[in-house]
Amino acid sequence: MKDAMNIRFLIREILHSKSQAVVFILCVALSLVSIVAINSFRSDVQQSIASDARGLHGGDIIVHSHYDFSPALQQEIAALAKKTGIQVARTWEFYSVARRADGQDSLFSNIKAVEKGYPLYGTVELLSGREFSRVLQPGKVVVAPELLKRLGLALGDKLLLGDSVLEIVDVIGRESLRPVDFFNFGPRILVAAADLAQMDLVQKGSRVQYEALLKVADAGQINTLAAGLQARAVTGQERVATYATASSRVKRFFDNLLFFLSLVSVFTLLLAGIGMQSSLAAFLRRKEKSFAILRSLGATGSFLLRHYLVIVFILSFIGCAVGILSGLLLEKNFSTLFAGLLPDNIVLGGSFFDVLEGIGLGLVVVTFFTFLPLSKIKNVKPAAVFRKESDNGRQNRGTYVLIGCGIILLTGLVVRQLNDLRIGLYFLGGVLALIAVISVLIGILLLLLSRLQIASLPLRQAVRSLLRPGNATRPIVVTLASALSVLLTIYLMEYNLHATYIASYPADAPNLFCLDIQKNQQHDFRGLVGQDVELFPIIRARLTSINGERIHRESEMKKRGDSLAREFNLTYRPKLLSDEVLIKGDSLFGNVREKSGLVPVSLLDTVAEMGDMKMGDVLIFNVQGVPMKAEVSSIRSRTKSMLYPFFYFVFPEENLRAAPQTFFGALKVKKSEIAQLQNTIVNHFPNISTINVGETAAELEKILQKLSTIINFFASFSILAGALILVSSVLATRMARIKEAVYYKVLGADTRFVLLVFFLENFILALLSSGCAILVAQAGSWGLCRFLFDIDFDPSWPVSFAMLVMTVCLVVTLGLLSSVSILGQKPIRFLREQS
Amino acid sequence: MVKTLCVIMFITFWSLAGCSQDQEKSPETKQAGGTVKTIVAVGDSLTAGYGLDESAGYPALLERKLQADGYDYQVVNAGVSGETSNGTLSRMEWILTLAPDIVLLETGANDGLRGVDPEVAEKNIRNILQILKDKDVVVLLAGMKMVWNMGPAYVAKFNAIYPKLAKEFDVVFVPFFLDGVAMKGDLTLGDGIHPNAQGYKIITDNLYPYVVQAIKKRTER
Repeated sequence: MKDAMNIRFLIREILHSKSQAVVFILCVALSLVSIVAINSFRSDVQQSIASDARGLHGGDIIVHSHYDFSPALQQEIAALAKKTGIQVARTWEFYSVARRADGQDSLFSNIKAVEKGYPLYGTVELLSGREFSRVLQPGKVVVAPELLKRLGLALGDKLLLGDSVLEIVDVIGRESLRPVDFFNFGPRILVAAADLAQMDLVQKGSRVQYEALLKVADAGQINTLAAGLQARAVTGQERVATYATASSRVKRFFDNLLFFLSLVSVFTLLLAGIGMQSSLAAFLRRKEKSFAILRSLGATGSFLLRHYLVIVFILSFIGCAVGILSGLLLEKNFSTLFAGLLPDNIVLGGSFFDVLEGIGLGLVVVTFFTFLPLSKIKNVKPAAVFRKESDNGRQNRGTYVLIGCGIILLTGLVVRQLNDLRIGLYFLGGVLALIAVISVLIGILLLLLSRLQIASLPLRQAVRSLLRPGNATRPIVVTLASALSVLLTIYLMEYNLHATYIASYPADAPNLFCLDIQKNQQHDFRGLVGQDVELFPIIRARLTSINGERIHRESEMKKRGDSLAREFNLTYRPKLLSDEVLIKGDSLFGNVREKSGLVPVSLLDTVAEMGDMKMGDVLIFNVQGVPMKAEVSSIRSRTKSMLYPFFYFVFPEENLRAAPQTFFGALKVKKSEIAQLQNTIVNHFPNISTINVGETAAELEKILQKLSTIINFFASFSILAGALILVSSVLATRMARIKEAVYYKVLGADTRFVLLVFFLENFILALLSSGCAILVAQAGSWGLCRFLFDIDFDPSWPVSFAMLVMTVCLVVTLGLLSSVSILGQKPIRFLREQS
Repeated sequence: MVKTLCVIMFITFWSLAGCSQDQEKSPETKQAGGTVKTIVAVGDSLTAGYGLDESAGYPALLERKLQADGYDYQVVNAGVSGETSNGTLSRMEWILTLAPDIVLLETGANDGLRGVDPEVAEKNIRNILQILKDKDVVVLLAGMKMVWNMGPAYVAKFNAIYPKLAKEFDVVFVPFFLDGVAMKGDLTLGDGIHPNAQGYKIITDNLYPYVVQAIKKRTER
């Protein structure tokens, strides 16, 4: 018995506590589901973005320079081109003036000379449908349709480029390398690199973007090759990038979203871990007596520990398998959840690596959370068989060391998952702080409960049951409350952000913005769109110093978000806008002029905070060469949607009237007429840009709703963890409950009384959890709204109340369901068995 | 938690956050007073000192050099990135409020890089010079040479504007503002156009004798 692994013992122990085992397995599974799903989803998204990136950047490796490549780099590229499995295409892109062969007309155009094989990735679609590489031969060009229109040319006509006469052979439909280009000054002309010499446009003194694109058959070599090229490149002049390192906006968006979902899933993992720990602890506590008997019969502590380790390992393994499988299944269905947000070419599906990583993760979590309860097995003394209560053993030094190691391991895991040391530590700190706050709250409430003099018998009994030894009241309430508070905070923040930025967008607010209206176009512009349009003057200027302290451009630019060193849009007007209120000062410009003789300036609160500027501060602006010394005369705040025009700095008209300025127009147009008006404006005034803001608001709303669904979906996993802990606790205290139910009955209580006690117990439990959660979530959201986002906070009590009701229903139902079998117990049979 | 909001805010802002504005330097300006005379450097990003700290731009370097040599002049940086000759013309009234004794005029490069008809640039610069002449301001005109890739016909027409106007208005003329700097990898920011700190030192040295000439011209009046 001493050394062998007793299989029968293992099987019996597992079978004897089936329900506990199931709860434990579910906890392990739950800890892994969302994290595996998110991890695998992350790698899919990254892969999809990476393959998009190849098409977008045109190669696996991209070498770029504003100068002809240095000899060393050129040699290296030439050497690589000769290797098998590596394809190189060089391009030269520049602007030039293309002329009709008859010299009649000319047009500023964007020329791109490309070598054979271009494009290595992606396509150049031609209107004829022919293949690009066959069409673009020396002496020929393919051009954007705009060029034909503007020069009045047709296919087959000749085009003068530099010293060359080239034949137009086709029209470009779409270039995957150039999907959108906002800074496109002239239409594209694609020409064969072989014609460059004859054109004589690329030489010293030309402004050209030189590029070499490399396609590498063996993806594993890309980074090595790129590093080799980089080593030969002239630093600061020649740039070597791979498709993976070149950044894109889509990538940033998903990085942020997935990062947040990782946070939520790590949170679920921690809660499920607490579930494991408490279900195992409750289970082992129940077993204490049998352990003592086994010890009396000669089993050593390590025999018990060894066997229980194996049991936990088996159960964990099953849990891991269930968790990983469900995680991968879940991820397969992400296309529904994320519909509309996913990149077009994404293929969802788990890889072997995801599974492996999931197993590793699961084992670390299980080890950490089961270690404490298991370590106690060894300490069970044979004497416990004779004692009523076992002493809740003091931990020895070794245990603390092991707990320390566990925490380091767990921190490592979280940091690895979040891929960011600082945020990982903040996150763990935040979660621990949240749990600590809730624990303290619960501790105080439970203490108050135990001191309470309660007249009603069922209520008194319910409270006493909650405080029953061995009951996992505290872990249940803490876990449930933590999960609920995080969920509620997420909801409240979404609700308030939505209310501030989307819903508050008033129906009569302007929905079309017009930029860059010139001073002398004001009159005609009003004539075109109607006299009532609001025109705001815009004067570009820089802030050079605050109270004599210079704004340092380099340090400002390093800051995240807005920078005081950028060029600002100043304006002048005599009064507040309809959505503004003064928060400091009596009027916009006060009596600054009379007092100090300086120019008064009114600040928006956001910019005042940015530069820590106060009333009376002296600011010096550089208005296109002209310095202007101004004193802060008031500070304003905005009450409405961010989609309404606003200005950081407002001056009196007389100080800026003469400054170089353009105008900004905000129009309210019928939705159906926006597009037409946009066209009319651009036709009359090609320099004016228009922005359809109404559409932007609608788009934002859609994306926000989509995101909140996704976030709620993942956050709801943590609720499941809370529910599992509840079930495990009910199971662990089953024996004690049966005993109580029997005694109540023996003492003359009917089933209704017993039911009422159980009901009240769960009811109080639910009230405690959701009450704490609401308290923490409301306080947290208020703080976030007030201090981080600076928006009004609406507590949205109905939602908090709905959450309370739902929690009560869930907890009471779960609690009663698991107690139903107890109610049916016949007292006499139980008493006979026990005696 | 904060991250979710960051995500939401990120999305909320992304369609509204315009492209980051050009990052040219703003000059450290001084209050004109006493006998200190004012040189206003008017121009585009080449004057503004695109991508550099303001103290590294040529107006700041020039001011230091002049004052070290005992000239009581301040140099105001009135460069606006991305500006074409049209923009410069439209803000002449504003520039004159600075009461310049001398104007260093460097404009037209953006016209050329955008393929604007050289005749348009010529007309604008002529108007600017006329306004300055009417106000009796001494002018130093910085010549510009267009990049070769614009094609020989365009380049020839463009490059001819500056010497022609310099002669017409009898102003102090620097044949090429970026002489010895343009297209040199070690003297520009990597784009071959915008000078780095080292590049501006060379430009300042190149300009200096012409500026002294302009000061003499101003004193003689």
